[in-house]
Amino acid sequence: MPEPAFLFGQFLGGLTAGMFLFTIAAGLSLIFGVLRVLNFAHGSFYMFGAYLSWQVMNWVGPGTEYFWLAALAAASAVAVLGVAIEYLLLRHLYKREELYQLLFTYALVLILADCAKIIWGTGQLSVSRPPSLSGSMQIFGTTVPHYNLFIMLLGPAIALGLWLLMHRTRVGRLIRAAVMDREMLGALGANVGSLYTVMFAVGAFLAGLGGALVTPVKSIVPGMDVEVIVEVFIVVVIGGLGSLWGTFLGALVFGQVLAFGILIVPRFSIFAVFALMAIILIVRPWGLLGKPLSR
Amino acid sequence: MSRRIPWVLVVVLIAMWIPWLGSRFYTFIATDIAILALFALSLNLLLGYTGLVSFGHAAYFGIGAYVCAILMKSYGVPFLLSFPAAGLAAAFFALVFGFFCVRLTKIYFAMLTLAFAQIVWAICFKWNGVTGGEQGLPNVPYPELAWMASIPGLGGLRAGDHFYLAVLVLVAVAVAALHRIVSSPYGRMLTVIRENPERAEFIGINVRLYQLSAFAAAGFFAGLAGALFGIFNRGVFPDFAYWTKSAEVLIMTILGGMGHFWGPAVGAMVLTLLNQEITSYTQYWPMILGTILIVLLFGFRGGIVGALVSLARRLRRR
Amino acid sequence: MHRRLLLVAASSLAIAGSPVAFAQGTIKVGFPIILSGAGALFGEPALKGAQMYVDEVNAKGGVLGRKIQLIPRDTKGNADEAVRVARDLILRDDVQFIVGTLTSAEGPAVSTIAKENKIVFIAPIPKTDQLTAPANLHPYVFRSASNTTIEGRTAAEIVAKWPVTRVATIAPDYAFGQDVTKSFVEHLKKIKPGIEVVDQQWPKLGEADYTPFINAQMGKKPDAVFSAVWGGHFVTFAKQAKPLGYFQAIKNNFIAIGEGGSIETARALGADYPVGIWANSYDVFDWPDAPAAHKDYIERVKKYTKEETPSSWPVTGYLAMQFLVEAIAKAGSVESDKVSAALKGLTIDSPLGKMTMRAKDQQANHGQFWGRTKLDAKYPFAVIENVTRIDPAPFMD
Repeated sequence: MPEPAFLFGQFLGGLTAGMFLFTIAAGLSLIFGVLRVLNFAHGSFYMFGAYLSWQVMNWVGPGTEYFWLAALAAASAVAVLGVAIEYLLLRHLYKREELYQLLFTYALVLILADCAKIIWGTGQLSVSRPPSLSGSMQIFGTTVPHYNLFIMLLGPAIALGLWLLMHRTRVGRLIRAAVMDREMLGALGANVGSLYTVMFAVGAFLAGLGGALVTPVKSIVPGMDVEVIVEVFIVVVIGGLGSLWGTFLGALVFGQVLAFGILIVPRFSIFAVFALMAIILIVRPWGLLGKPLSR
Repeated sequence: MSRRIPWVLVVVLIAMWIPWLGSRFYTFIATDIAILALFALSLNLLLGYTGLVSFGHAAYFGIGAYVCAILMKSYGVPFLLSFPAAGLAAAFFALVFGFFCVRLTKIYFAMLTLAFAQIVWAICFKWNGVTGGEQGLPNVPYPELAWMASIPGLGGLRAGDHFYLAVLVLVAVAVAALHRIVSSPYGRMLTVIRENPERAEFIGINVRLYQLSAFAAAGFFAGLAGALFGIFNRGVFPDFAYWTKSAEVLIMTILGGMGHFWGPAVGAMVLTLLNQEITSYTQYWPMILGTILIVLLFGFRGGIVGALVSLARRLRRR
Repeated sequence: MHRRLLLVAASSLAIAGSPVAFAQGTIKVGFPIILSGAGALFGEPALKGAQMYVDEVNAKGGVLGRKIQLIPRDTKGNADEAVRVARDLILRDDVQFIVGTLTSAEGPAVSTIAKENKIVFIAPIPKTDQLTAPANLHPYVFRSASNTTIEGRTAAEIVAKWPVTRVATIAPDYAFGQDVTKSFVEHLKKIKPGIEVVDQQWPKLGEADYTPFINAQMGKKPDAVFSAVWGGHFVTFAKQAKPLGYFQAIKNNFIAIGEGGSIETARALGADYPVGIWANSYDVFDWPDAPAAHKDYIERVKKYTKEETPSSWPVTGYLAMQFLVEAIAKAGSVESDKVSAALKGLTIDSPLGKMTMRAKDQQANHGQFWGRTKLDAKYPFAVIENVTRIDPAPFMD
């Protein structure tokens, strides 16, 4: 039997990974919930968040507390990019079949990936932890970096923030109404168009934020966009696309299955995640907390 | 069309003649196009005829490639058995996955096909003992085609040319079969389902059964294409089943035009040639492809063939 | 409508078919290598070394009176892409030779293509034993790189001298990681029977998050670790492992093969480098026992790359090109079969001393530099202390 401290460390590792993924997946799930678009370019937004925050850090001074400012700036820039894409292009495709929307977001993946290569090259970039969180502490005999602790707390904070946005604001009420019945909302006279733009901006912001915050831990490389979209896709499929708490649960499950999968089936922990997704798809195709959909 | 010329036959005959141009490169490109055309045509059975948006078609391409390669390389099974086995294996998995997928509609169907495809990818990526894992299976043998050299006129050709001719024949047979399927009463029923599934259900058609059978058939032909591609590529790799591959074949189909039987084949050809041409000038092919795709989505919904058909109609009316 | 379709087909075929003019006289060498992503950390300098050698030879009039042209292509660290690129180089660019590939997934895949097209292929970097194993050996594949047997056994010799008994391994789950870990473990158990392998982790190549692997490994309480995580991947790995107290827990009894001690890796990690671990490198700019040829070479690299402290990877590309060019000179021809025959048993005077391409397995006797890493006030990155070049001869068979 492994020591409890070790299992706890593994749990925290999984939690960190899960909360990173939640930050990114929440945006994908939100956008889907409202717009019914599976946005492959969400991974590209994430990548742009990472590159942009590296860029800002490079200007203002690597390894400083400007990190936080850089992360916010990067996420905001990505949100602006999202708005531009939604407003100029995507909204003209809402009336068309899903295929066109899917392929449109894939076209964005292709274009944005090359843009990133042109701007930042093809090498590997990295960002240091902000000095305030560069240390680590002992919790129950396990070394936990402060930065990881911050991410573990940030995930629930974002979830709570989104919940408040959805349940305590007018925009949120409209969004929830839109999730249930789009036509109805339009009939009520709400400006569905601008609602969609706002949603897309929030989703893109979260992806950008996820990308910016991941830089001190992971490296920035071409291909991170395509890679992450697979992971967040699994998260939302497990949890239920369009459901906030479903996505949160999906991210938690993903992180833990990966972490403990390594202990049980060392070589196949990635596969354990996919297997879980398969089982859920067969038993509950709408995800753990998603709503069943009629034909 | 009173004096109908069998243009398909003409194209096949022209294609047959490519090895005699003497360039390995032409043969190479032509083989690539023939195989991808079959892959795209198989997808269109779902997309264009049944109205099912599969975002995981690469899974069946990958299964076919791996099954054929493993049988030939690891077990020494002759190509004549491995090739149909690849198609059947792909069809079997399409049947299993499809059973769950056809319960859903629209975007949810697309997502489920994508999810199953990623599972196939994960198996290829991790099952080191059988699939070679991350590094794939290099060194897939060519089928035993030396006998072709004894046919008069084929003696002077290389192994790659012999393989190309075999591919051409096999693809032609597979495409003819696909054509038979879509022009049969069964194929027309699929079209009825595409137009209005609810009505089809209402008049007593078992919609899911038809969709499932089409899904399996599409998987079968994708598997055949994959089998040929694995040999052509001299190696099979997990990327064959990755989601971006599914997106690529969708692009081919859309580019050529999913409203016409030959559309996807034209799409496969144009895309392959464009890729070859553009990559010799710039490394930013994905950006150009993305731009083409956006123009296509906004401007030319019928794809190349659709645009040509409407152009021809307008000219005739004049 | 059909006629138009055919016209489009014919014209697009015509565009694609515009043949690339074959520059009469130049010898074309395709160089597929990783130029993007985490592997580019090693791929780019390797290409620079090859290009430097080519420039030097061309400045002296080339070989057989013909100039050499290097055609680099990005393989993206992906075997499928490497195959595509290699075939493209052969079929479209009409290259006569292929030198390149970086990972042990790319090498064997491209070897198949070389065999089919009868093109001499020299692998400057891929180390998997499978590349030149008897079952896969053919007249056109050669390796100027070290291999997994040499590297694994050398590492085992070093670890055997440490006061440790519980050893763990972490390696990317593909040919290189698998083979080198196997030869390390086998050799270590042979020379130090008391050793126990307590844990083995297999992240994928290009893993973005090593944290769960690192935690799992620490949980098994090893007192030494053998790592085959290389290049930009090692940079990611070390950045994630250090704050978790991983290197401290094993008292720096950590050996980073896959050139963990290369200046490229050290530079990329900067202050995040886990100083004190053991590592290897293909080249070091401060080799204390350097022969004159090496000192001269380092000066040339400095000038060529405009770097104060020159990279260590150029030597890989340089050596492979030197083998090729000297074989062409010896064969007096660029015909594949003649060059292949000339390469077998060829000895070159490399910057690292005499090096021979063994005839029996078409593998060069390429050893590496090893040692413990330290900080040196002269440089803003970690370097290897008391660096020694270990002769591969005892470990090759």
